[in-house]
Amino acid sequence: MATAQKSTKFTQPLSPHLQIWRWTITMASSIIHRATGAALYMGSLLITAWLAAAAYGEGLYAQLTLWLTSPFGRIILVGFTWSVLFHLANGVRHLFWDAGVGLSLKTARLTAWLVFLLATLGTAALWWFALTHDVAAMSGGAH
Amino acid sequence: MVELTLPKNSKISRKGKNFPAAKGAKNLRTVKIYRFDPEAPENPRVDSYRVDMTGVSMVLDVLIKIKNEIDPTLTFRRSCREGVCGSCAMNINGANTLACTKGMDELGKGDLHIYPLPHQPVVKDLVTDLSNFYKQHAAVAPFLQANETPEKEHLQSHDDREKLDGLYECILCASCSTSCPSYWWNGDRGEEGEIKDEYLGPAALLQAYRWLQDSRDDARKARLDYLEDNFRLYRCHTIMNCTQVCPKGLNPAEAIAGIKRMMVERG
Repeated sequence: MATAQKSTKFTQPLSPHLQIWRWTITMASSIIHRATGAALYMGSLLITAWLAAAAYGEGLYAQLTLWLTSPFGRIILVGFTWSVLFHLANGVRHLFWDAGVGLSLKTARLTAWLVFLLATLGTAALWWFALTHDVAAMSGGAH
Repeated sequence: MVELTLPKNSKISRKGKNFPAAKGAKNLRTVKIYRFDPEAPENPRVDSYRVDMTGVSMVLDVLIKIKNEIDPTLTFRRSCREGVCGSCAMNINGANTLACTKGMDELGKGDLHIYPLPHQPVVKDLVTDLSNFYKQHAAVAPFLQANETPEKEHLQSHDDREKLDGLYECILCASCSTSCPSYWWNGDRGEEGEIKDEYLGPAALLQAYRWLQDSRDDARKARLDYLEDNFRLYRCHTIMNCTQVCPKGLNPAEAIAGIKRMMVERG
């Protein structure tokens, strides 16, 4: 060895991060923006499957509709609705930020809460409408 | 790579020690502190101290009291005790701040939880190795680059000087950068001493913006060229933890948005 001194290098531990962090609302809205973005990919596949089934034939379409109107399917659709609305509202927040508006801590916190509120109220309103009205008849579609 | 959990050698063991209160002590509060001893081949642990809070006003006072009266092995950095040196930045009850300016009256009633700045190599107890953080600060050339040398000083109008308010006050305590999840997972990727595919973090970018905004500086183009990078600048996703924690009340997220806008404006 070139030096007589023994190496004092030890493996330094990494200090805790997520494990100890107290979540902030702006942090939550950021990660959920990403998560809903990923969910929208899945949602687009679902819409594609729905259209493809309709094009393929009555049998497949009926099967898919049955699955989508089952309790499990409903949960997926409600989640998809919430994701669309959250991603849309938070996307508008990002648009303003890119223009340099709304970056003060107070505004950013407030708008983060608003986005959660908007997505939740919007989902509730849309589903209330869909479940209490004959949507298919309104669009002129046949059963 | 995003790693949500700690590496094996960094997981907190259950071997934390308990330090009971001194006899006759009143006004007690439990303080839990992250401990790591580089000379012992053991994982980090969390020690628990029962401390008499009489006459204590700031979190730094608590640490000094523990070191003086209960456990002299407790290690932490501190110097100015008035929020200008940035030495005592640490994670207190889940958010980064300066121990010297964090009042006990801001921390409610429960136990106190004190950890080193998140996602950094730990030297000992609450002391982290900030070499990488300083390297990133150096990388943005945080100094005046003027083409001409005036006979006396570089002059600046009042309006131009005002543009630096909210930027120049940074004390480099690293609270912001180590609060940023994007920095946790993208902040240290290059080989030692180089910056490659690495997010510079809110502190370095706030300083970059401070010099981009300085009317006396002539290196704007070179500065922007350096920052125009997927990782160095654009790993900011406006999570805003930086702004939430800054003990000087600065807004690095806004500064970073400012740099992004300068990129668009220059085409």
